[in-house]
Amino acid sequence: MNKTVTINISGIIFHIEEDAYDKLSKYLLTIKGYFSNADGGNEIMSDIEARIAEMLQSKTSAVKQVVLMSDVDYVMDSMGKPEEFAGDSQDTHSNESKDAEFEYNYSEPIKRRLYRDGDSKVVGGVCSGIGHYFGFDAVWLRIALLLLFFFAGTGFLLYLILWIAIPEAKTTAEKLAMKGEKADINNISKAVKEETEHLKKRMEKYGKEFRDMASNNREIPRNVAEKTVDFITDVLMNIGRVLLKMLGVFMVIFGVLFFLGLSGSVFGLSFLTDSNNGGEWIDLLLLDGKDFYLGLIGITIFIGTPLIMMIYGGIKIVFKIKYTNRWVNLSAGVIWLVGFLMLLYVGIRTGGDFNKTAKVRENVLVKPYETLYLKMHTTPVNYEELNVSDKEEEGEKDFRINHRDNDYMIGNNKGVKYLLGHAQLNIIKSQTNKIELVIVKEAKGNDKRKATERAKNIAYTVVQTDSLIDFDNLFKVMNADKFRCQDITVILKLPVGKIVYLDKSLENLMYDIENVTNTYDTDMVSRRWLMTDNGLKCVDCDGLVITEEIEIDSNDGSDEHIKINVNGMNINAKDTRIKVDSNGVNINSKDSKFTIDGNGIHVDSKKKKNK
Amino acid sequence: MVNSENTKAQMRKGVLELCILSILSQGDAYPTEIIETLKETRLVVVEGTLYPLLTRLKNTGLLTYRWEESTSGPPRKYYMLTEIGATYLKELQVSWIELVDAVNKTIQQKS
Repeated sequence: MNKTVTINISGIIFHIEEDAYDKLSKYLLTIKGYFSNADGGNEIMSDIEARIAEMLQSKTSAVKQVVLMSDVDYVMDSMGKPEEFAGDSQDTHSNESKDAEFEYNYSEPIKRRLYRDGDSKVVGGVCSGIGHYFGFDAVWLRIALLLLFFFAGTGFLLYLILWIAIPEAKTTAEKLAMKGEKADINNISKAVKEETEHLKKRMEKYGKEFRDMASNNREIPRNVAEKTVDFITDVLMNIGRVLLKMLGVFMVIFGVLFFLGLSGSVFGLSFLTDSNNGGEWIDLLLLDGKDFYLGLIGITIFIGTPLIMMIYGGIKIVFKIKYTNRWVNLSAGVIWLVGFLMLLYVGIRTGGDFNKTAKVRENVLVKPYETLYLKMHTTPVNYEELNVSDKEEEGEKDFRINHRDNDYMIGNNKGVKYLLGHAQLNIIKSQTNKIELVIVKEAKGNDKRKATERAKNIAYTVVQTDSLIDFDNLFKVMNADKFRCQDITVILKLPVGKIVYLDKSLENLMYDIENVTNTYDTDMVSRRWLMTDNGLKCVDCDGLVITEEIEIDSNDGSDEHIKINVNGMNINAKDTRIKVDSNGVNINSKDSKFTIDGNGIHVDSKKKKNK
Repeated sequence: MVNSENTKAQMRKGVLELCILSILSQGDAYPTEIIETLKETRLVVVEGTLYPLLTRLKNTGLLTYRWEESTSGPPRKYYMLTEIGATYLKELQVSWIELVDAVNKTIQQKS
């Protein structure tokens, strides 16, 4: 028992077995593909279908109602293979062939197409095929590809892509087409020009037809509508074809460029890790070398596969290759997924190592003094070892090391890498009457134990000499510990009544130290601060100039502006003025006036008075 | 890549146009009839060759066609020669006779 499908060929209904149907529809599609570009292709198609209907009809009867595989085979045998008869489809002017001498290729030269040449191949016939196509000796191409091979294997890959994308010339027709008339695309610009010309011709033709139709009333309206639709479809198809070709060219060019870039950076990462800034960071982030190479392969596949498919697709578009290897897309998808999973694995493993945070508190004994002098000690670093670029000026290097903004730096001492980070200082009120100094070390890990271990490994020193306390500005982490958000916060707990002097150098170490006057860190330095019950209070801040203020000016040159600083607030808007200062509050609008000052609250409406 | 089969096929193709026009000069015909005649003389091996050719000849104005209902199948396209087609055929016939003559002479000289 077999399942049958009902089909309609040329208006005649047939019952056809499913497998026979598949074969027949594939056959018809192939023929259609061959004639799709030909003049009158649709007509040829319907003629062929009519003939097939006739043949199938002769094969069926009231007794044998179903079309079988053998019937389809019979049809295909007598109709012939599309490549055997499609050569006649290209439109030609018979005047030319009439005058022409008896030519090998009867009606017109066969258009040249890109095929692999299996007859004169070295590996897969790619080079010889391309050589035929562009009309040069394949040897040069082979040399060029061989040279490209040494650029991260690009030549090899390109060859593989071409091998898969270009079909081999198997039939005589294909072999003829491979060495066919040069009049086809010799170069890309010509191809685009050809398509444009073709489009123009079509447009003109349709324009003429349309005008004829408009002046010809015998045409029935439905026909006019149909022709209009045909016309629009055709124009769109042609525009599409031109755009597609250009897209194909761009795809190949960008694909190759990006691929070169990708392979370049991958090679850069794997071989030049020591002198490469990005590579050092990756090394500090990833757990081990296994992750590094896995990630590298993963990212290459993840980015590389789409690029290769882009080149592959581009080549197929540019050379109008209709043949498709259905395994290509599938395996590309699978490979891409594998790359993605590799990246995911590395990402999860690395991310997992940031899972838990641990804080370790170390108390440092501080000899008590009435006034403590706090100073930042610039940690001695070896510039040569740091990844600070050589081109940077000495001053800029200092800036990078001394300022908190540049948070982490990587050093490399004869292959042993280390990480430098900036510590921060905070001063709070002590709950006891003792001066306490706590160094809070912080790090992350996949569990609490590992995180704690890493936190303990952070090297940081504070030194007291009599009443002077020196804080290192940098802490150091050895590479074995990786970069796991290590951080150092030094907390000085100061009992009420004690005074600290903040040296100017502390500017870059202090982090938002709270005080009763809400003074910014940068304005706190070079002054004495007394710990009171409410917090730190400046003891020698008289005459302190507060520079912080907000000022917004209208940019059209008028007097409108907003100004906010420690003295108060002044808003000068169109027809409205708000002023808040030591005298009180004053709001002045077009129609009213509102004042709070030593005399009380006044509200005046100007409008009322005007009435 | 000398392939005698291919050359033979090309030769047959070369005279196909002349043959079709000749067949049609003896009376209107639809593709199946044309094919049957051509198959008898082994000029056409695969039927598919015929359809693009007919369409091309029609498009160049040598042929025209009319639809005729068929009792047993889809409507048939009956092709006929146009006036231009008839003139064209005459020209082709003359040059064919010349060609055959010339080719025969060449072959005989060689052998």
